[in-house]
Amino acid sequence: MALGFPTGGDGGDIIPIIKFDARAGRMFRRDRINGENEQIDITQDFKAIFDFENVETGTINFNTGSAPDFAVARYGDRIPPKPSDDHKPGVRLLVKLGKDSGGDVRELASTARVFLTGIDNLHNAYLDGVKANHGKLPIVSLTSCLPITTGEGARKSTNYSPVFNVVGWADRPADLTYIPRAKAGDGAAQGAAPSAPPATGSTRVSAPSASSDDFG
Amino acid sequence: MNPFEAHGIEHLSPSSCNLFTAAPAMFVMQKCLKKSSSVGPAAHRGTSVETGIVHGLMNPSASQSECADKALDQFRTLTSMSGDPRVDKEINALPDMVRIGLAELRPYGIPSSTQGRIELQVEGLDVPLMGFYDFEWEQSGVLIDLKTTHALPSQISQQHARQVALYAAARGNNISPRITYVTGKKCATYQLENVADHVAALSRIAMTIQKFLAISSDPMELASLVVPDTSTFYFSDPVSRQSAFEIWGI
Repeated sequence: MALGFPTGGDGGDIIPIIKFDARAGRMFRRDRINGENEQIDITQDFKAIFDFENVETGTINFNTGSAPDFAVARYGDRIPPKPSDDHKPGVRLLVKLGKDSGGDVRELASTARVFLTGIDNLHNAYLDGVKANHGKLPIVSLTSCLPITTGEGARKSTNYSPVFNVVGWADRPADLTYIPRAKAGDGAAQGAAPSAPPATGSTRVSAPSASSDDFG
Repeated sequence: MNPFEAHGIEHLSPSSCNLFTAAPAMFVMQKCLKKSSSVGPAAHRGTSVETGIVHGLMNPSASQSECADKALDQFRTLTSMSGDPRVDKEINALPDMVRIGLAELRPYGIPSSTQGRIELQVEGLDVPLMGFYDFEWEQSGVLIDLKTTHALPSQISQQHARQVALYAAARGNNISPRITYVTGKKCATYQLENVADHVAALSRIAMTIQKFLAISSDPMELASLVVPDTSTFYFSDPVSRQSAFEIWGI
């Protein structure tokens, strides 16, 4: 496991997010439109430059009732202690979306085990590939999702592990800038096990956009 | 003989599970005692609007009026023997619902399938869970169920969540389940969340039905275990109301 998933402290500015829904196997971009969160499904078109040079690992608590609490550190730095039992091993990094996925810089964070499996495999591929692409960042696509079934009987559930693929390498975009943060902003509420009746969904979505590879 | 066979039930559906939770006496009346109930104009509205929208989605060049006519024709046929005064209200809303629904769904393109039959086997349940989804766009991995209503909800209802979660679970990997609510003035498409949890809830309801049916193979004995609330819309049509009186004496 290349990322190891220990911990480190942080915080910072509000950065818009993308979110991988492990229960549905879908990638969403969360936009704030007219004061409301709107989730745009970008699974089909997903392509992004991943800033693995500054990926952060540690523990994250998405279940705070407000903004998530990150105790993460840049990969390779000393990881801070786990603040509470509600903090789960997780990962956070910035990505630069391809034009058809939105084209801007987003935060991607999760504690979902199936997501961590996928991101860890991708990080391994990055570590292998960066030797021949020094100073560059990987262009990543979401190839598919693998169903992972756990539990038995009434507790049986299926989640989806993303299968990412490095499809190319790019210079760091000018707007993909890593700034260590003391506190995260609007985080991605991914992977937390429900302790209350499950929400049904109130996020309005629209039709997926057409695909292309242009990063502009 | 399993409990379902004893009562001539070959499968369960999200609607029958939802019926059991909302009105168990009506479930016994319909599914065990085989007393039929008439469907109100609101249900026909949903069927008819869907017909118009399916026509418009499968035929991108079809005009809105052509699609509305499809819906109106079907609604008139379905309600041709209805004396329900709500028919007029429903028929007036149909063209706008079709127009608004098409504006919402045509951007998805032509569906790869409509009215797709799905079936899910639940461990320990003696019959399958079965249902039909409205639209799937396999190319973009989206599945949508259409709901017509006169008041736009701000979120997906629990009943609809269980229904569409079943479709999503049966379709498997990588489907994005959504529900489009259409009124005569506006519409909204919501992303279904927590699919596995809602499927688990549906499975628990189905297992409860199985346990209930296992109490007796005599439907009247099952009827004696529940009492209808005849003030609810489930018993609003005269035939159902009379049946309830004959069965339960209230």
